[in-house]
Amino acid sequence: MSNLTEQQNESSLDVTRRYFLGRGAGVGLGAMVLNVLNGESGNGQVVAAGRLAGTHFAPKAKRVIFLTQSGGPSQIELYDQKPGLIKMAGKELPASVRNGQRLTAMTAGKKQLVMPAHSTFRRHGESGATVSNWLPHIGAIADELCFVKSMTTDQINHAPAMTRFLTGHHLTGRPSIGSWFSYGLGSDNRDLPDFLVLLSKMKRGSDQPLYDHYWGSGFLPSVYQGVKLRSAKDPVLYLRDPEGLPRHLRRNMLDGLGSLNQVRFEQTGDPEIETRIKQYEMAYRMQASVPELTDVSDEPESTFELYGPDSRRPGSYAANCILARRLAERGVRFTQLFHPDWDHHSRLRSWCTARCRDTDQASAALVLDLKQRGLLDDTLVIWGGEFGRGVAGQGKWDSPEGGRDHHPRCYTIWMAGGGVKSGTTYGATDDFSYNVAENPVHVRDLHATVMHLMGINHEQFSYRFQGLDFRLTGVEEARVVHDILA
Amino acid sequence: MRCCFTVALLCFFGLVGDTGYAADEPVSFNRDIRPILAKNCFACHGPDEGTREADLRLDTHAGATAARDGRRALVPGRASESELVARIESDDPDVVMPPADSGHELSVDEKTLLRRWISEGGEYKVHWSFTQPVKSELPPVEQSDWPKHPIDHFVLAKMEAGQLTASEKADRYRLIRRVSLDLTGLPPTPEEADAFVADSSDRAFEKVVDRLLASEAYGEHWARMWLDLARYADTKGYEKDRHRDIWKFRDWVIHALNRDMPYDQFTIEQLAGDLLPNASNEQILATAFHRNTMTNDEGGTDNEEFRVAAVKDRVDTTMQVWMGLTMGCAKCHSHKYDPISQQDYYSLYAIFNQTADADRSDDVPVLPLPTAEQTWQISEIEAAIRVLQQKKQEKSDDSLDAMIKEQQKKLSGVRNAVTKTPIMKELPEGKPRETRLHRRGNFLDQGDRVEPAIMELFGSIDAEVPVNRLQVARWITQPENPLTSRVMVNRVWARLFGTGLVETEEDFGTQGMMPSHPELLDWLAVDFRDGGWSIKKLIRTIVLSSTYQQSAAVDVKKLAADPRNILLSRGPRFRLSAETVRDQALAASGLLTRKVGGPSVMPPQPDGVWKSTYNALKWIDATGPDRYRRALYTYWKRTSPYPAMITFDAGSGEVCQIRRVRTNTPLQALVMLNDPAYVEAAGALARRMNDVDGATAARIRRGFRLALIRPPSDDEAARLLEVYEDLSANYAKDSAAADKLVKAANREAGDAAMIAVANVLLNLDESLMKP
Repeated sequence: MSNLTEQQNESSLDVTRRYFLGRGAGVGLGAMVLNVLNGESGNGQVVAAGRLAGTHFAPKAKRVIFLTQSGGPSQIELYDQKPGLIKMAGKELPASVRNGQRLTAMTAGKKQLVMPAHSTFRRHGESGATVSNWLPHIGAIADELCFVKSMTTDQINHAPAMTRFLTGHHLTGRPSIGSWFSYGLGSDNRDLPDFLVLLSKMKRGSDQPLYDHYWGSGFLPSVYQGVKLRSAKDPVLYLRDPEGLPRHLRRNMLDGLGSLNQVRFEQTGDPEIETRIKQYEMAYRMQASVPELTDVSDEPESTFELYGPDSRRPGSYAANCILARRLAERGVRFTQLFHPDWDHHSRLRSWCTARCRDTDQASAALVLDLKQRGLLDDTLVIWGGEFGRGVAGQGKWDSPEGGRDHHPRCYTIWMAGGGVKSGTTYGATDDFSYNVAENPVHVRDLHATVMHLMGINHEQFSYRFQGLDFRLTGVEEARVVHDILA
Repeated sequence: MRCCFTVALLCFFGLVGDTGYAADEPVSFNRDIRPILAKNCFACHGPDEGTREADLRLDTHAGATAARDGRRALVPGRASESELVARIESDDPDVVMPPADSGHELSVDEKTLLRRWISEGGEYKVHWSFTQPVKSELPPVEQSDWPKHPIDHFVLAKMEAGQLTASEKADRYRLIRRVSLDLTGLPPTPEEADAFVADSSDRAFEKVVDRLLASEAYGEHWARMWLDLARYADTKGYEKDRHRDIWKFRDWVIHALNRDMPYDQFTIEQLAGDLLPNASNEQILATAFHRNTMTNDEGGTDNEEFRVAAVKDRVDTTMQVWMGLTMGCAKCHSHKYDPISQQDYYSLYAIFNQTADADRSDDVPVLPLPTAEQTWQISEIEAAIRVLQQKKQEKSDDSLDAMIKEQQKKLSGVRNAVTKTPIMKELPEGKPRETRLHRRGNFLDQGDRVEPAIMELFGSIDAEVPVNRLQVARWITQPENPLTSRVMVNRVWARLFGTGLVETEEDFGTQGMMPSHPELLDWLAVDFRDGGWSIKKLIRTIVLSSTYQQSAAVDVKKLAADPRNILLSRGPRFRLSAETVRDQALAASGLLTRKVGGPSVMPPQPDGVWKSTYNALKWIDATGPDRYRRALYTYWKRTSPYPAMITFDAGSGEVCQIRRVRTNTPLQALVMLNDPAYVEAAGALARRMNDVDGATAARIRRGFRLALIRPPSDDEAARLLEVYEDLSANYAKDSAAADKLVKAANREAGDAAMIAVANVLLNLDESLMKP
């Protein structure tokens, strides 16, 4: 009766009971869910519980650190060198290249004049990858990285494109990639949530909003949504006991509360009460584990030197990179950083370099740090945003005031560790960095590949909602990019 | 598929054979077969001609029995001659169905069922929810003294078939707390509970129910359920997520429910109030239902793209809310499971595509609704201007001009301050928008022209009148529509029992679950429809049943037999909603401000929660009575909803939410323990406790009753006293800490240990659960 079991599981509203009770017993519901999705009960494909089981095949990566660069970093300035553009400077983009591409209302109807890269490039390491001189630290670790220069999406505005990038669909309502992993795999850490989100605290206010649904659980139960660690004094909301309630008194209160709940449990028999007792204990543990996680005073001076001066500023991208490494050490399944404000429509040179300075050293440091601690092999690091930028100048192409508009047809991301081929460049664009010339990787292909690295067949990992089996990769064909797997 | 669940239970007790189905019970197409075909076959062999493989469709009898190359997928009565059976039982990977790469696989039981179905004739039946509901005869029951109402007959018959017996009636304290929370979202007072306990009349419970249904709190509580469906929020969504003035719609819902507007009228006014003859302002205001769609003010967006997205949202939401059908699929291709073609979708879309709104940042068209005071001010100023203008006609005078100008400035000031609610309005006559099918759902890839039309699936409509939203509303509410009443009674049932009779409240189509009690659902649906569509009457009927009034306590045997209480052999016990958790704490502590309606308010939320956004909206913690309003009135920003309520599973309001999930997480514990709003409630509750003259035990007893309504047992009282004495002794040694806690609870002076005890009371599992 596998389909019965499945329907009951998937439609059940009170999922947390089994979820957390299951975890307490050392068996993630995640693993159980996958068993069910595997058709475990009907055809004997039983996967043993307790290890990182329930995956469809042996995972290369056990956890993900997703360095989300929000706003659309320019691939033309940063990774996708096109020396030929200099000759085309100020000339109109050939219609054959543009080929009907939608533009945002900001540049629609205006002449599309080519603006060559403001940056310069050099080759790095044995792999000879070209990286902008605006990103010297990332360039220096190019041999650790796998560049995908043929990323492509189909959304041209920020919110829909980021929603597509992180949930597989451009409209809100679907689970984010991290919540899929939380749902499917659970986590090894009993004292911290499975999926943690860190937002950069900018030195100046940012124009780029980041929405809760980027790490939301969509139609999955909310227990799977990302938990945002804030850069404020309480990294988790309401983590601190009220003033005047020292921890030993809180403990006494919780003991009283727990004993009263236990009495109720014995009288009514509702297992939900047992879950609640456990959740209050988890909350109590998080009150210790989260500050312990975020208190970096035990880090040696060398850590801050590695991640750069901004890493001493709590909430900065660099400081969050240190936290990401601490989370990886603690076995948290999915950690997602967000750095906003890559949306350089104007003043490209100063705007884009400012974001490079915010993120370059720390991104590279994170990869190096994971490697030196032996964590890189099973941690997948992803660096990328929702789309790239167009080759045409926005505003004046020949002035420092010029910028670039959004561009969905091609852009560059990179990955490291976790089973991807290091020192690799995959895919290529045309001479204008406008269209993908070879090996396109759609956002859904990226999702399929990340799932594959985590041991999951994206076609067999679904959730039934409104009568349909939803997958992260949706209904259109998605492929695992085998060429970049180690 | 709850019927099958029952069977699974029987199987558990070893009552039926190992196929899971009693051999003498015929296979039911709707219950047993369609779900298997829908899940495993229809994607390639269903209604969608675009993806149909091998020109074979298995969703109709004609398709399945058609001869193809001399073979027929289904030969009625002859399983062995049926290609379908040959395919599902094949070992050959090139032949077997479903194919391995489809990700689907049939279990042994499913294969057996399909074979048996064909052997028994292979009949197709119309999907259950697409047939007319009828009131069936009440089934016989053994325990004949238990049913008080037809509901109970249906429930008990299933229970007895599952070898279960009904639970005893809940005690009166729990019962009044349960029904008060269910009907009004607020707890009773201990005094109301005592009066009920002391009332020996036969109608004691009925009197309570009628009092609750007549209270204004009823409309507030049930409005929240409707606002989830209406995707109500105080901002416009998307990137900028700016403010939107639409709270008057929220108040419209509250008032409509409080005066028990019949559900058909409630439907018609929200979908098409503007198209009613001589529509009143209230009827036009009702159409704000569909102006809760998001508007994208992001720079550089194509307004048409987001106007189209809003219209699609309206089509989807309409079908989902009223008929429990998912239309989303048909945007891009014909529905793979339900008989809704892409053409049907865009025909309906064409009707909703005729309104004047266009993703504009001013959200026009809007309905200005001045307050009485504003109306008075406007007429006063207008009169003053008239007088001045008269004078000016008599003699020209520069100072008169200046005075007129000043008055006009004042007038526009008042007019600007008038609340303007976005509403639905048709485009001017003779200028309809042309609708074309969107290939693969892409609005830039337009296909053939589509004329407005309503699906013929559930009865036709008068062809003489223009096809517009009003016609859609009438089509939804006509008695022949088999879904509308079923979907609504199921929704009300689900709010009261935690789970619908059809668990997939959002999907009554072929992919949804079967009802656990089909006859009960239909009985309620017919009663609701034929009895004048009264929601209050429906709720009253349900809560007066023995089924509803059972105790929620459960023993090990029952829990093992029916862990999710599908057979309803005990009362509902589940966590209160986000809003009720808050409202209850405010009510128990005496802080609650009772004021119905008005602009949304900003109770305290942590600093920095709203920082992630870049519009001018600022969260300013309310300090006066607005700090303690019911949760329903909390300002709702779609991209950054109120954190304490989101933690308790409230939705963002971005899209229609048919049902909320219910989670039980550590973050909820942190909210209840540490959110300053709950610490403040503990402080206020402690004050009420300490207002009692007498010993600490009496004070604790008072607090317990305010929070849980029932009196504590001796054991519970003793444990709480122990907590108090322990903390009290500690605070005696550390008065600085005591002072800090008192201050944190927003009190000037008080008993810190009692505040801690009050905090415990508000955190008890029983406080957070419906009893």
